[in-house]
Amino acid sequence: MGRRAEASRLAEAVGRRQSDIMRDLVELESKNLVKVFRVKIWHVCLSPDGRRYLKEGLPEERLLKIVEAQKEFPSVKELAKACGLSRNEFAAAFGRLRKYGVVKVVSGKVIYSGDGVEKLLSDIRRTRELLENISECIHVRELPEWVAELKRRGMIEVAESRVIEVEATETLRELLEAGRISEAPLITRITSEVIVSGKWKGAVLKEFDLSIDVPVKYPSRKHPYVEFLNHVREVVESMGFVEAKGPHVETALWNFDVLFVPQYHPARRESDVYFVAGETVGVAPSDVLERTREVHERVWKYRWDPREALKLVLRTHTTPVSMRTIYSRKEGEYRVYSLDRVFRPDTPDPTHLMEFHQLEGIIVGKHVTFKHLLGFFKEFAKRLGLGEVRFRPAYFPFTEPSVEGYIKHPRLGWIEVFPGGMFRPEVLYAVGLKDHNVAAWGIGIDRIAMMVLNINDIRDLYTNDVDIIKSTPLPREVMR
Amino acid sequence: MPIVEVSFTDLQRLARRSINSEDLLKALELMKGEVEEVSGDSIVFEASHDRPDLFSAEGLGRALRYLLGVEEPLSTSPVSEDTAELRVVNPPRYRPYAYISIVKGVELDDEAIRQLFQLQEKLHATYCRDRALVSIGLYDLDKVKPPIIYTSVSDGRYVPLGYSEEMSLKEILEKTEKGVKYAHLVKEGEYPLLTDSEGQVLSFPPILNAEWNKVTPETKNVIIDVTGTEPHLMMRVLNIVTHAVLERGYGKALIMKAKVIGGVPDNPYPTTPHLEGKLFSVHVEDVESLLGLRVSTEDIPVLLKRMGYAVTSIISDGVKVWVPPYRVDVHGVVDIIEDLAISYGYNELPTETLPPTHFSGRSSIERLTRTIRDIMVGLGFNEVVNFMLIDPDILKLVTDEPFVTVANPKMKTYSALRNCMLASILIAGKVNSEKMGEVEVFEVGDYVIPKQHDAESVRGMAFLLMGDKYTLTDGLVTAKSVALTLGLKYRFEPYEGKPYIRGRAAKVFLNDVEVGRVGEVHPEVLVELGLTKPVVAGEFNLTKILREIIERK
Repeated sequence: MGRRAEASRLAEAVGRRQSDIMRDLVELESKNLVKVFRVKIWHVCLSPDGRRYLKEGLPEERLLKIVEAQKEFPSVKELAKACGLSRNEFAAAFGRLRKYGVVKVVSGKVIYSGDGVEKLLSDIRRTRELLENISECIHVRELPEWVAELKRRGMIEVAESRVIEVEATETLRELLEAGRISEAPLITRITSEVIVSGKWKGAVLKEFDLSIDVPVKYPSRKHPYVEFLNHVREVVESMGFVEAKGPHVETALWNFDVLFVPQYHPARRESDVYFVAGETVGVAPSDVLERTREVHERVWKYRWDPREALKLVLRTHTTPVSMRTIYSRKEGEYRVYSLDRVFRPDTPDPTHLMEFHQLEGIIVGKHVTFKHLLGFFKEFAKRLGLGEVRFRPAYFPFTEPSVEGYIKHPRLGWIEVFPGGMFRPEVLYAVGLKDHNVAAWGIGIDRIAMMVLNINDIRDLYTNDVDIIKSTPLPREVMR
Repeated sequence: MPIVEVSFTDLQRLARRSINSEDLLKALELMKGEVEEVSGDSIVFEASHDRPDLFSAEGLGRALRYLLGVEEPLSTSPVSEDTAELRVVNPPRYRPYAYISIVKGVELDDEAIRQLFQLQEKLHATYCRDRALVSIGLYDLDKVKPPIIYTSVSDGRYVPLGYSEEMSLKEILEKTEKGVKYAHLVKEGEYPLLTDSEGQVLSFPPILNAEWNKVTPETKNVIIDVTGTEPHLMMRVLNIVTHAVLERGYGKALIMKAKVIGGVPDNPYPTTPHLEGKLFSVHVEDVESLLGLRVSTEDIPVLLKRMGYAVTSIISDGVKVWVPPYRVDVHGVVDIIEDLAISYGYNELPTETLPPTHFSGRSSIERLTRTIRDIMVGLGFNEVVNFMLIDPDILKLVTDEPFVTVANPKMKTYSALRNCMLASILIAGKVNSEKMGEVEVFEVGDYVIPKQHDAESVRGMAFLLMGDKYTLTDGLVTAKSVALTLGLKYRFEPYEGKPYIRGRAAKVFLNDVEVGRVGEVHPEVLVELGLTKPVVAGEFNLTKILREIIERK
């Protein structure tokens, strides 16, 4: 339709490089003011040999002169030696002379015949003409048919490149004709100088093209897992719970014995509990020790050993925190939670760690019942965005009834996440709570964290790799 | 939790009813079992630790009978009128107790024997603490000459189970697999031995039985023995095994009791097995106050019979139930009420959300933690987390203070509890050093300081600046920024000690309380840790800041 201009020329005209104006061209094109074409251009140039042939004569030209002078040569080899051409040049030139019948080979001898000289000379003239027309280089959009031959003979070199061509659209023409396009200084970056000097007046403040992607800059981040844990704290607090803390190194008494776990129970084996090395023996309130002894010997009927109870262990759950809380607060209506680390012997793999977090909670009251525990699980799941909860009977030495709450995992199906129950009377007796019920739960929160944070390897929850931390998006559940 | 394998055919024979697999899976859920695998006739499930009566097909079949209403639970165990005798003569002092029971009129086959063997093995592995507390044996009554004698000997000879040649007791301890495994449970010169009245060896408990009197498909009458150190635990185990063997009479077998003659004076069971079971009253109110569920007196028997309880009488506002002796998980009314709830259906129970009644609250240390994290992120640091369990060698590199070590670690890397946060933040520095130029990270976490009788958990914060551009000044800037943001006065004093360079480290005082340190980590430490870039690090004791500054104000 209209005339095309090369982008490089346009750039030259406004005193820029082509790369500088590319964004502007894309922008103009997006506004349908110009059309941008990417065109393939062939560059056909004389090779060093081609230039030499123009000066010294084509190989066939030179060979013709030699055979005209001597007429006969004992062999092709002799002629090749005498002519001073390179092997390739000679082969091509000799081929041409034979093709037009200028020379013949008779029983090995090369004999000048004088035939076809005119045809050869006209061929030579044509070739020279082509080379002379190229001069140095020509630039074409399509390759002429003769290029192949000259290229094969090493006289020219061919390269290709792409150029950007721009053509004004009808719209632009109309706007121009209507005088709607005028020149104004363009400002891409507003500086204080621009503001103060008043240059912004009458200038065009360049519009940004939002379709062009920008680089990312990750902020310094709080750890996503710690953020999740704090989110859980908020959820539990919103349900009326107060946070409590307890020691990581516990006596077996608080970790097992007050919880009605007999001293011969398999959960107390070395394969299941980290024991503290050394001679340190724990201490404990004598009333707790005495009541614990009494209840173990009365119900389990074995010789309860206080030394076993005073061994130090790394707590295997946070239930000791609940036990200590009830022991110190005794009767009353209260709800307490704790969310901290617990330890169990294990070798790290995608689903196991030797150290993880437990969310522990108790609801203490005169009229607290199992239905309130089930209600708590349902409400808690709802607030964490975990959906429906199903219940199954379960066994824990210190609760009766005991329950395991299941939620539906998008990949794994129903998974157990909410263990809990009503503390046994023997347990409440050991810590001295009278006439009250306690609903208790101890949730392995890491499993839920993995679900919410969309992490498949538990070790990634506890990552100290800044790249991972920075690039982990905050889950919707945490922001709600 | 024990993994139990049963046969579908066998189970239906014991339950005396055909059962489809769906019903079985539902029933197992009510018995807290988790199905692991169903293939052909075999069902593998994980039994609940508190229900050892379900560690084999016999108990499971019995439970299914009651659950499906094939029959009502009996209120006694079927006992024959005659009694046997166990003579305890000079028993080993370290394993003084032995009890037996006899079950007459059983029909065995390979599957039945396999199940009874499985029951023994699962009980040994769990309740019997790998035979240390209790060891179980089963024999063919008709092959032995009663009464049975439990005694101790310095040596003896018999053909052990699974062998064809006679061995001495010492040889058994050295040459047989069980002998090697359990030799630590017996003492030389005082080996426990069960024999019959003619001195034929029944068993060398807790090691190995004899071959000649083993239970075979031809066996009609079975002797069960338990020997060990805990008489009451032994009796629970004996009751479970006795009632399991009883199931193999398919309703026709009887238990024959045995009198214990001699033995230790404090023996609590003169006649065994002890079949009294337990009687409890379950009131409607008890149920309501524990479950929040109101049931009628008419409902309770229906719900409880399904779970294997014999209802002996209806009382005002409740029932009396008999708990059979193999239900060792039942200690009180709450255990029965749980079964009632299970029978009712956990997902049918009412649920109720208690509205908050009190003001909730975060612990003050968590609130300070939140503030510190905000400040550190604002200063451009990235938060990391590390484990509290740590390699003790790293702690020794960083501090001379004592720390808690684990007696039974699985890996050295996680065999100590960190006693500072600094060690952890250096680990984080190392993890990130290879991929980035400069690293600015912090961690807030707990560490543990050993004390005389326990160990104190402390909340701390450590930060690390790693890269060529950092000097102590950058560490001091961080400390000062934290102090001023918290509104506290700060002061620095020279600090000399691990792991910092002398003259390039400081103690940090906030409001004149020493709460931390900052310094350039010594190249020797860096090299030891495999770090190649300079590190400025610091640590604050947040527990101390909270207790001695913030809460004191």
